[in-house]
Amino acid sequence: MATSKLKTDRPTYASDFIASDVERAVFLGNPVLDNMMTSLIALGAEVWSNRRRMKVVEALLAEKGVTAEMIETYMPTTEQDAEWQKDRDRFIDLTYSPLLREGDLPVSAAFTRENK
Amino acid sequence: MLDRRSLFAATAAVGSFVGAAFSSRKANAAASAHTYVNGTPAGDVELRGSKGRIERLPTLDLESKHDFVTGFRTFHKKFNRPASKRIEKLLEEKGLDPKGKYSMEQVNELVEKDPLVQMSARTWISNQQITWKILQDHFHENADDYIAEMEAADNVGPGTLELNPDMEIPKYTKHEIHIQPGGYVGDEFAGHIYHYGTNSFYVGAIGDNEQDQIHIGVANRLPLPEDGKVKRVLVMGCGTGQLTTAMAERFPDAEVWGIDVGAPMVRYAHLRANDLGVKVNFAQRIVEDTKFDDGYFDIVTSYIINHELTQDASRAMIAEAHRVLRPGGYFYPVDFRSGGDTGRAYGQYRRWWDHRWNTEVWSREYHSLDFDGEIEKAGFTMNKETKAALPGFGARHAVKKA
Repeated sequence: MATSKLKTDRPTYASDFIASDVERAVFLGNPVLDNMMTSLIALGAEVWSNRRRMKVVEALLAEKGVTAEMIETYMPTTEQDAEWQKDRDRFIDLTYSPLLREGDLPVSAAFTRENK
Repeated sequence: MLDRRSLFAATAAVGSFVGAAFSSRKANAAASAHTYVNGTPAGDVELRGSKGRIERLPTLDLESKHDFVTGFRTFHKKFNRPASKRIEKLLEEKGLDPKGKYSMEQVNELVEKDPLVQMSARTWISNQQITWKILQDHFHENADDYIAEMEAADNVGPGTLELNPDMEIPKYTKHEIHIQPGGYVGDEFAGHIYHYGTNSFYVGAIGDNEQDQIHIGVANRLPLPEDGKVKRVLVMGCGTGQLTTAMAERFPDAEVWGIDVGAPMVRYAHLRANDLGVKVNFAQRIVEDTKFDDGYFDIVTSYIINHELTQDASRAMIAEAHRVLRPGGYFYPVDFRSGGDTGRAYGQYRRWWDHRWNTEVWSREYHSLDFDGEIEKAGFTMNKETKAALPGFGARHAVKKA
């Protein structure tokens, strides 16, 4: 039997329970792939959370006179444009460079101590 | 918008309603010495106000993440058609009828290594895990405030709360149904987590339930007993009390009870009913042994509970409902249509991983039970004319013979 992970001195009325083994489930043939999917969905929740907060900020700004149209039609300066593109490229590199990796060594491969 | 705080303050002054049927309640000791600050119960945690009947989730980030997982559930329905076609193709390749009926085991073996079908299952389960995690993390991180809120409400009316910490909890109820962490009995905030988490279940399935629309609809569609008399109502396995509260709103002069095995569930149900200003009595008891007198109730109902019970527990619940109903009263358990353990391949596979990995532990037992037949065997007369109180679900209007 499992018990709640919350530690408190207050009475809680929670009892022991039978924990699911879902954390051990492998649907995609490789637990790493399973973990990546969970991670990707969690990332989606984080990204959406930021976008939704941005909508709140824009709504509040609109109340203060900064309208959605002003944001939509804002023209960055040349300097801003260059800085933002650098930032965009950093973002893309961090996010998608792993897709270029061509791994070919099995995890059990012997350590040869030679450059390959 | 309902002014929940005003309602709470006004109704709390009435004190603790004490039902006549039961004497061992422990948490509802008379009117409490509860204190109020500007008409709001001390300790009331309502950081971002309410939207109609529901307290808004306490942070914008949590609300937005909850919004995401809700949207993802709706998006996930797009897997259904291609995954179904894929399974049919796999059946054809094996020389089997793609439109035939199969058991869960047959289909599971067939699709175990299919990437599309498994991606469908994986992403659904991952989204479900995230749904629970974001909620549990918040309530645990702010546990003291939320426990204090429940403590402040435990002994306050208009309704009552009975907790039985020494009660023996049946083992079959201790599972993490829907992979909700701790299940219904093992987490202090099972009620909080269940209420908000399941709101995302409804969207894209049978409709929005944030304002308890589904439960209110069920309460209003349930029939009256033939003589029209409704003095006492029982909701078995009441969970967070949404149907119980809706029944009390439909029958404001009736004595309405909700019982559930999970103390955290009825504790939250009581907190919420009080917050809505509705007089309901909640008790931690089991459906097999409700402790009420014979013939006490006019209506006994339940909401999607039987597929979470063993067959034996369902039979015991039916017998108990029969015992506590008065002649002419009725039992109306709302749940899925049951029967049959074979079906079209994709449906069987959905049912399989829902059972195995969404921890619907007892759903297979339920679907292999002739539930309507069991109700009739217990001595009820089924009124076959009554429509389903929850459209698309089973219609079981079981009248106790006069």
